[in-house]
Amino acid sequence: MAFCDFKLHKPESVTEACRLGREFGRTCAYMSGGTELLVDLRSGRKKVAHVIALGGLKELREIRRDGDTLHIGAQATLSEIAEAPLVHEVFPALAEAIVTMAGVQIRNLATMGGNFSCGVPCSDTPPITCAAGGSIVVAGPDGEREVAARDFVLAPRTTVLNPGDIVTAIRIPVQPTTSGASFQRFTMRRGSALAVASVSAWLNVEQGVITAARVVMGAVGPIPLFAENCAASVVGQAPGDSVFADAGALAAAEAQPISDLRGSEQYRRDVVAVLARRALACAAARAEGRTS
Amino acid sequence: MSDKRNDAHLIQLTVNGRVHTLGVGPQATLKQVLREELNLTGTKSGCDAGDCGACTVLMNGRAVTSCLVLAAAADGAEITTIEGVAQGGELHPLQKSFIKHGALQCGFCTPGMIISSLELIGKKPAPEESDIKAALGGNLCRCGTYPRIIKAVKDWRSFEGVDLDTEPSDEGERDQIRTHSTVGRGVPRYDGPDKVTGRTEYTADIRLPDMAHGKILGSTVAHGLIKSIDTSAAKALPGVLAVITAADVPALRYGVSPARYDEEILARERVRYVGDEVAAVVAVDEATAEKAVQLIKVEYERLPAVFDPRDALAEGAPLIHPEEAEKYARNINTQVEWHFGDVEQGFAEADCIVEDSFVGNRTYQCPIEPHASVARWEHHAGKLTVWSSSMAPHYLRHMLSRIFEIPQGDIRTITPCVGGGFGVKAEATPLDLCAVIFSRLIGRPVMMKYSREEMFHHFRGRHKQYIDMKIGVKKDGTITACQSHILLDGGAYTSYGIVTAYYAGSMVPTLYKIPNYKYDGYRMYTNLPASGAMRGHGVPQPRYAFESLLDMAAEELGLDPFDIRLRNAMQPDTMTCNDLDISSCEFTATLEQAREQTGWNEKKGKLPPGKGIGVGCGGFVSGAGYPIYRSKFPHSNALIRLSEDGMAASLYIAAAEIGQGCNTILPQIAAEELGIPYHRIWLVESDSVLGPTDLGSYSSRVTLMAGNAVRMAAAEVKTKLLEVAGKQLGCDMHGLTARDGRIFVAEHPRIGMDWDEAARLAFSADGPVTGTGHYSPPPGLGGRYKGAAVGTSPAYSFSTAVCEVTVDLETGYVTVDDFYDFSDAGTVINPVTFHGQVEGGIIMGLGETLMEDTLVRDDGSLINPDLHGYLVPTISDSPRIVSRAVESYEPRGPFGAKEIGEGCLPPILGAIGNAVYDACGVRVTELPITPEKILAGLQKNREKTGRTP
Ligand SMILES: Cc1cc2nc3c(=O)[nH]c(=O)nc-3n(C[C@H](O)[C@H](O)[C@H](O)COP(=O)(O)OP(=O)(O)OC[C@H]3O[C@@H](n4cnc5c(N)ncnc54)[C@H](O)[C@@H]3O)c2cc1C
Ligand code: FES
Ligand code: FES
Repeated sequence: MAFCDFKLHKPESVTEACRLGREFGRTCAYMSGGTELLVDLRSGRKKVAHVIALGGLKELREIRRDGDTLHIGAQATLSEIAEAPLVHEVFPALAEAIVTMAGVQIRNLATMGGNFSCGVPCSDTPPITCAAGGSIVVAGPDGEREVAARDFVLAPRTTVLNPGDIVTAIRIPVQPTTSGASFQRFTMRRGSALAVASVSAWLNVEQGVITAARVVMGAVGPIPLFAENCAASVVGQAPGDSVFADAGALAAAEAQPISDLRGSEQYRRDVVAVLARRALACAAARAEGRTS
Repeated sequence: MSDKRNDAHLIQLTVNGRVHTLGVGPQATLKQVLREELNLTGTKSGCDAGDCGACTVLMNGRAVTSCLVLAAAADGAEITTIEGVAQGGELHPLQKSFIKHGALQCGFCTPGMIISSLELIGKKPAPEESDIKAALGGNLCRCGTYPRIIKAVKDWRSFEGVDLDTEPSDEGERDQIRTHSTVGRGVPRYDGPDKVTGRTEYTADIRLPDMAHGKILGSTVAHGLIKSIDTSAAKALPGVLAVITAADVPALRYGVSPARYDEEILARERVRYVGDEVAAVVAVDEATAEKAVQLIKVEYERLPAVFDPRDALAEGAPLIHPEEAEKYARNINTQVEWHFGDVEQGFAEADCIVEDSFVGNRTYQCPIEPHASVARWEHHAGKLTVWSSSMAPHYLRHMLSRIFEIPQGDIRTITPCVGGGFGVKAEATPLDLCAVIFSRLIGRPVMMKYSREEMFHHFRGRHKQYIDMKIGVKKDGTITACQSHILLDGGAYTSYGIVTAYYAGSMVPTLYKIPNYKYDGYRMYTNLPASGAMRGHGVPQPRYAFESLLDMAAEELGLDPFDIRLRNAMQPDTMTCNDLDISSCEFTATLEQAREQTGWNEKKGKLPPGKGIGVGCGGFVSGAGYPIYRSKFPHSNALIRLSEDGMAASLYIAAAEIGQGCNTILPQIAAEELGIPYHRIWLVESDSVLGPTDLGSYSSRVTLMAGNAVRMAAAEVKTKLLEVAGKQLGCDMHGLTARDGRIFVAEHPRIGMDWDEAARLAFSADGPVTGTGHYSPPPGLGGRYKGAAVGTSPAYSFSTAVCEVTVDLETGYVTVDDFYDFSDAGTVINPVTFHGQVEGGIIMGLGETLMEDTLVRDDGSLINPDLHGYLVPTISDSPRIVSRAVESYEPRGPFGAKEIGEGCLPPILGAIGNAVYDACGVRVTELPITPEKILAGLQKNREKTGRTP
């Protein structure tokens, strides 16, 4: 289908971008990579009169270390993030998640800013960022604020962003050496495909005992879902197959999947149980330095 | 492109090293600008949604989908398109590698594949297989060239500084040596260089002066009466040239088979599926046409609809074609009742009877190239030219002639290269018809294209079959009887469906000797997009059922799956129970080689849990014995003319190159018969004014039929030259041979002359040296019963496929690790294109078995008419493949050749299904075999046995 008629704006500063966004309100959309937005505009799911392209904000493309945080500019492409040595050093599970997404041609355009902002339940970077305890930097007409990643998505395709707000960065705390994380995802084919379910697990293991855990599920709920019972069940335990298998079952119970073309509700729960167990086992092995 | 100059952005793009300053509208994508403004049509369009990768270009050194880039936002970018890859007339080594490895078929994905590979080799000049799979996971190839692409990208550096030639590749792909110089050798594809450089013209690449663009409006309801259509707003939109509804088009119904012309160009009173065509618009550009179509308001009275053939058959079900209530009573479109031998008695003789119900899937051919058509009425004597992405341009011309009441001779059909067909482009489409109508109406050339979504609505994909099948087997494995009852979901119209309903029955007894056979088939109308002919036409699903039942019987009788197949395997020179005349047949040899070369005896039943091996067999016709409509014309024809200097021969043919390789095979056959090297052939193709009629590229007919016609034409030319040479050399022409550009005395090869010299002498004496050839199947094929024509063929192919899978016992995910195929396709004319077809068939069959299905909502609308919902295999899903030719010599084929294009698909489903069963004990009878179904099966097995497998 043809695009609706829209005007294209190319702001040169964050301030200008925010101002334009506030001015046009609901009649506009920001565009980073455009890989979600342009598909929505073409299918008619979205209709806007203004598109505000953020690609000119080169300062939002930086990936750097800020003291004890990894700072990922919202305009950095998924490929740039996955290739950045810094990401591999600080939080390799993010790169691991990204390379499972889409194909190279999409990752060369798409951004994490866009992946968060679209608020789509099967977006892959929000769950792993939540598992890392990350946060989102939002610039708005009234200044900047930082929102915990877990509080960012409110409902399918709805986020905390107000008109005029843009995501400027994703921040991930530098992880303790005693921690490990893993991203596990299930799709209907091996090449580019959207997730049937994903589980991101993060564990801290000290002297053979799990002292902290976060398990976040993707594509099986309206927003990235924390499997609280699952995570709580492993804390205080030594990593082990039966502990993780039981935890997987808890995660399955905590998932809120719907049935759609990618799988039925029950099947998604079954898959979550497996993914959660595998993610926990892998995260534990990494935390204990058994694998990289 | 929207022409809002006031919103236009002035941008600069450096494309292939040249700086362009352009004014572009805000909605223009980079793809549009490249294709429409800069005329760089090598960048293809397959989905407009980032899913297919056909539009991939390098932007600032990175591969991106140009359909998801707004040109105005890409100001200052450096772009490399496929046209910029070859430097100074010299192909990039990667391009040469693609050609030499045969890493392309229809070529539509090729530019995107090459561009994506370029980014990879730029970063990693010596990529591993895993790197290539990761880099190309976003590029779809429906022809399944993935295994060859992997080889080509891995090997690209071997072509640095190497000149491209037309010598056969020495991949050791030649399986059997015959005494030919060109036939049997893997010479590179004739269309290779054009396809790797983006030069190949597909229908959507055609640019004619003053060309307008049309768009069709589809129904939003699945079944309803049209109450009113308001086109005023559409007509008022600036740029709109005309709007048409049923009132403006010929009332004549059309379709594929004269017995069932049931389609209307635009719906008159009734719409029968979501997407049924109701109106159309033509405008100065595509975007305007798309907008205008949205402005047409149609009021419908909704009628009850049926979406399941079982419901359609029920007493009191709404009739989908009530105007022919008797002909299509109970929504039965086609009914077949066959009984050969006596199944009652056959089952009585059996020691073991196995039966089950199987359900197929509505798979879609999904070529990467969307359908397109361009029509132009000529100012000269009322003539019409139509360019169409058609696999069967002859049928298109036949239909145009019928509908528009003009002689076929006044219609020129041109088939630019076709970007994949697999059966979906074998009939006249509403695009063709509306383009012709519009072109007459506005006096300009008109282009019409389907979007990816519209393709799914037009459909003509695989019939979903509901199969009840039963076989009777003796203790030693001998089959005594087979009975099947099949309901086929035909959708709203007939298309090729009559033939499908017959094929679903006729091809079952061709593979194994079945003395008693009964088939009841009902092709049903439903309120869904029409099903049609898809690769393997009607055969794969019943074949899946049969191959599953054979394994079930073998298990029950304690026989090895190979033993039961060998016991019943078809033998040469056999008349089947349904009167099909099998001539050459090396089926037994394919089974024996498969068993031996796959390590079957060491693996079957001995692999660890989750690993499995399975066998499936299949085959197909080498061209249908009869055409779609009654005609005595030869099915294939060819014309050859020599250049005056004798250095080249032009071959004029009208078969359609859809990727299968006929434009390479046919020149090879011509070269062989003429006695000159392959590179001395010019191909003139796919234009009804230039080449004599060919029925088209369907039913796997071209190699055998067009091949015979070409050989005959070449033989005529050769005879002329031998005569001249005989005189010149003073010897009997019958003792002369032509080969490799020389004519010589067979017994004394040193006595001879150059071929071109003979050709010059012939021209000097008698003017143009030409030859013509034609082919019709042997008369009288088939029995005397109703429908006996379907399934007849001059020859049949046979194959055995073995696959190994890994099933994740926790998620049910199936990974196909290895495939081995052993095919008897007669003489292999070109091993590279032959194995390419096999690999492509395996990959397509893998998708069909494991992941593909078009899904429908309760209201009849489609859930997944796109390439992210309808998943087809990617390079990462592609297994290791070993393909072996088990050659027979088919006396009716050119140089002994039969077919491979379609026959390679039917064995795949059963092989995978049987391997999955071997791996995890779950037999899924409803396709596709999704992880979810496997998990449910595992659960059931656990409940039954109380333990894990
Ligand atoms: C073929 C294909 C495959 C895909 N596969 C995957 C996959 O496997 N996993 C996955 O998660 N996603 C996938 N996607 C979806 C998409 O690519 C991702 O969500 C991507 O990260 C979006 O980023 P973008 O920069 O392209 O966003 P855009 O399309 O530019 O924007 C997306 C949305 O976010 C808003 N937005 C963008 N940037 C900002 C910002 N900085 N501040 C505020 N709002 C903003 C836009 O207005 C829009 O609503 C796929 C898409 C395609 C086309
Ligand atoms: S046309 Fe761009 S990805 Fe398909
Ligand atoms: S060659 Fe890849 S789609 Fe045809």
